Amino acid sequence: MKVLVVDDSMVMRKVLVGALSRAQITDVDQAGDGVEAVKAVGKTQYDLILMDWNMPNMLGIDAIKAIRAAGHSMPIIMVTTEAEKARVIDALKAGATNYVIKPFEPSTIVSKIQEVVAKSKGEG
Amino acid sequence: MQVEYINPFIESVYELFSTMLGAKVQRNKLGLSSGPSNPRDIMALIGLSGVACGTVALSFPASTALNVVNKLLGTENRVMDDTVSDAIAEVVNIVAGSAKARINDGDGPVIDLSLPTIVRGNSFSVDYPSKSKWLEVSFESELGPFSMRVTFQMEKPKGDKA
Repeated sequence: MKVLVVDDSMVMRKVLVGALSRAQITDVDQAGDGVEAVKAVGKTQYDLILMDWNMPNMLGIDAIKAIRAAGHSMPIIMVTTEAEKARVIDALKAGATNYVIKPFEPSTIVSKIQEVVAKSKGEG
Repeated sequence: MQVEYINPFIESVYELFSTMLGAKVQRNKLGLSSGPSNPRDIMALIGLSGVACGTVALSFPASTALNVVNKLLGTENRVMDDTVSDAIAEVVNIVAGSAKARINDGDGPVIDLSLPTIVRGNSFSVDYPSKSKWLEVSFESELGPFSMRVTFQMEKPKGDKA
């Protein structure tokens, strides 16, 4: 399983890479904004993306729209401080598969990753 | 600015500490301030816009900032470097983001956040517009002391000429 972690915070990327490691996922690439994420998805086949919302250059939601418009169907978990219902709805409409609100318990993000991965494998 | 406006931000600090940092935190007295902030070693500021417009600032001594980073990453960093700035920026982002959803019960008009700004060093002074009033609260935590300042205004309902 190959995963792309997208967040402008290097520290948050490390936190998420650690969570992926606890879910036995170690093949992980990182991107610092939406533009880098879209470029990475154009070059590499990912099985899962963890996507922040507020980032410079391109917001996470716009990156999701671009990735879906390019025909990619891998699960995308939005991991963000944006907790309003309107934001969640916008993200799901844009193509996010699931949504995790910061701050989160380490166990929450791990179980969410495992849940999305299991569902993805079941569908595949 | 009403004193209770700071409560969502305090609740967000508590939630951050209980979830991602796994540390106890306790607030001290709350005060209204119009003067310059007390200098600390690192300060993170983030702006809110939309139906609530203002700024949130978190200030940390170096020891607390380092403890926060080390708790988040499981490291033993002893140097105030870019990793510390990055972590403190994310902390203020999480506190403000969580608070804005509490302000409108998660169901109202969305409040937008700016990208965070970090000021590092121990000899800076932050001044604010002369008429602005800030709510300030200090905290004691298992990771060390820190403080938070908040100022914002709620947009007046349409048709309200007051």
